Amino acid sequence: MSAAPAPRESRRAEALESFRVRGMPHRRFEHWRYSDLRAVLDAGQVAQSGTANWQIERVPEGVELFDLAKPAAPEWVVRHLGNIGNRPTMEEASLAFADGGAALRVARGRKIAEPVRIQISSTGNLRLLVVLEEKASLTLYESHTVDAGLLRNVGVEVSLAPGAELMQVRSAPPMPRSFAIEHIAVVAAENAHYKAHFANFGSRLSRTELHILLQGEGSEAHLSGVTVLGGENHADVTSHIEHVAGRTLSTQLFKHIAGGKSRAVYQGKITVREGADGSDSRQTAKALLMSERAEVDLKPELIIFADDVKCAHGAAVGDLDADSLFYLRSRGISEREARRLLVHAFLEEAVAAIEDGALRESVWRDVESALPRAMEAAR
Amino acid sequence: MMLEIKDLHAVVDGKEILKGLTLSMKAGEVHAIMGPNGSGKSTLSYVLAGREGYEVTSGSITYDGHDLLTMKTEERAAKGVFLAMQYPVEIPGVTTLTFLKTALNAQRRARGENELDAMNVLKFVRQKATALQVTEEMLKRALNVGFSGGEKKRLEILQLSLFEPKLAILDETDSGLDIDALKLVAEGVNALRTPQRGMLVITHYQRLLNYIVPDRVHVLAGGRIVAEGGKELALELEAEGYANIAREPA
Repeated sequence: MSAAPAPRESRRAEALESFRVRGMPHRRFEHWRYSDLRAVLDAGQVAQSGTANWQIERVPEGVELFDLAKPAAPEWVVRHLGNIGNRPTMEEASLAFADGGAALRVARGRKIAEPVRIQISSTGNLRLLVVLEEKASLTLYESHTVDAGLLRNVGVEVSLAPGAELMQVRSAPPMPRSFAIEHIAVVAAENAHYKAHFANFGSRLSRTELHILLQGEGSEAHLSGVTVLGGENHADVTSHIEHVAGRTLSTQLFKHIAGGKSRAVYQGKITVREGADGSDSRQTAKALLMSERAEVDLKPELIIFADDVKCAHGAAVGDLDADSLFYLRSRGISEREARRLLVHAFLEEAVAAIEDGALRESVWRDVESALPRAMEAAR
Repeated sequence: MMLEIKDLHAVVDGKEILKGLTLSMKAGEVHAIMGPNGSGKSTLSYVLAGREGYEVTSGSITYDGHDLLTMKTEERAAKGVFLAMQYPVEIPGVTTLTFLKTALNAQRRARGENELDAMNVLKFVRQKATALQVTEEMLKRALNVGFSGGEKKRLEILQLSLFEPKLAILDETDSGLDIDALKLVAEGVNALRTPQRGMLVITHYQRLLNYIVPDRVHVLAGGRIVAEGGKELALELEAEGYANIAREPA
């Protein structure tokens, strides 16, 4: 695969050209049907929004950090940056226009217990690169501040060597006036595990797109997330997991709550390539509609070229269960509290996928603060 | 009178189910309501608890001096109305103990009493749970999820003993229980008979009434009470069947 890596600058020039030719994604693009970005934002605005800020307060011992704004990038940065995944148009934009970002590496065999906490603020494009060498493990917590201004466009690349494990948790607060785009490209070698949880509270248009290549035998991807939307917020999670090698496993569990006039989108595409025998993929997406004017679009998709695979998917949109509501109220619990309890119970399964206790608590806090608006009907 | 139901008519899904039901009960009494399937037994219990979709079109229910029909479901619970359900719901994601704590404190708050902290709730629950063989492990599990029929019913009776209602309605508490489970539940109920508490035991079969002996028996058929009597009426029903007693007047 690896020919002589192109230098960073030529790769950026390539990305710029590619973005210029392809332009903004819009509803006629495959998988942008429910999130027409071109209708609300033009390419010039993306180019002019510059580079977003990032901050890591503490770099745990054993983690190597390189600031992408600096010259003379180390070899591992040059080798991977802009080289992972199929680079859709908004990722090209972040590569072309971001003058900075963070690159993290964990050396072979190092298991980092303390999460790396990266906070992203202000408007603009940004690049993140995570490289885990053989059997290394890391937890990455990505939080966003509300001052996104017009646009936050983050391109994340993850390279997992054999046996490496990354747990990524992202929580972005509601940003009703901003556009928030994030593209995550992951390549997993043999027995590597990529786990991620996305807590989405929506923006004017919010898109989280994942492209995961389960390239090595026995590699796994486990995605989970909660989307809690109120007002007119929008959140779109679109994933594409490709089972390239045999005995690969992917699971997805996404729970959505949509109130007000919000719109939640989940599109999960699974491709099982020829020869990926013994692969197993499961995806579940469920949604509760809290308002007649909210909208939820759930779209699981399976493309299978191999024999001997197990694939299961399910999607369901509903209202809170009337029997459960009555049961709780008949025990003296107010309707409001009963609804809150049931919504909490609905989300529990997905939040429980976050292994780190402190991060799980932190996501619950964000969920709690977003719930009152999400449980409102449209005004 | 603790409970006075007068000429009650109720409609479910556009169909009249209760057609002029009249019944009254004093505090400290246990009344049984027996009737065949479709006679309106469950509808009566839901109307008493205030379930949405069970619309009262005429008649009245007075409970402890209040007009019960103007009260919300949760207000009724806080004022001491408890319905032990035939099919307790399963709620994944909410542990049994969390549910009990939330319900207990919601009722206490509504009555202007101070809330119990987690420690005191646990103490209180443990103290009552042993007699009903509700284990610590059950309390930690999601509410009713994976519980056997007997475990679900025991948990209903545990709630009866925790919430200490004035009016307890037991809807088909015997359904799905084997004889040992039935005895255990009946003992639990009998231990809760007090001079202040009224109990309405709704059942299809006489069997339960061998263990929870009623002061009065009402026979419900076609949406109204068609016969009333002492506990011996239950035995008559068992011997002769509903058809002979519950025949509607021509």
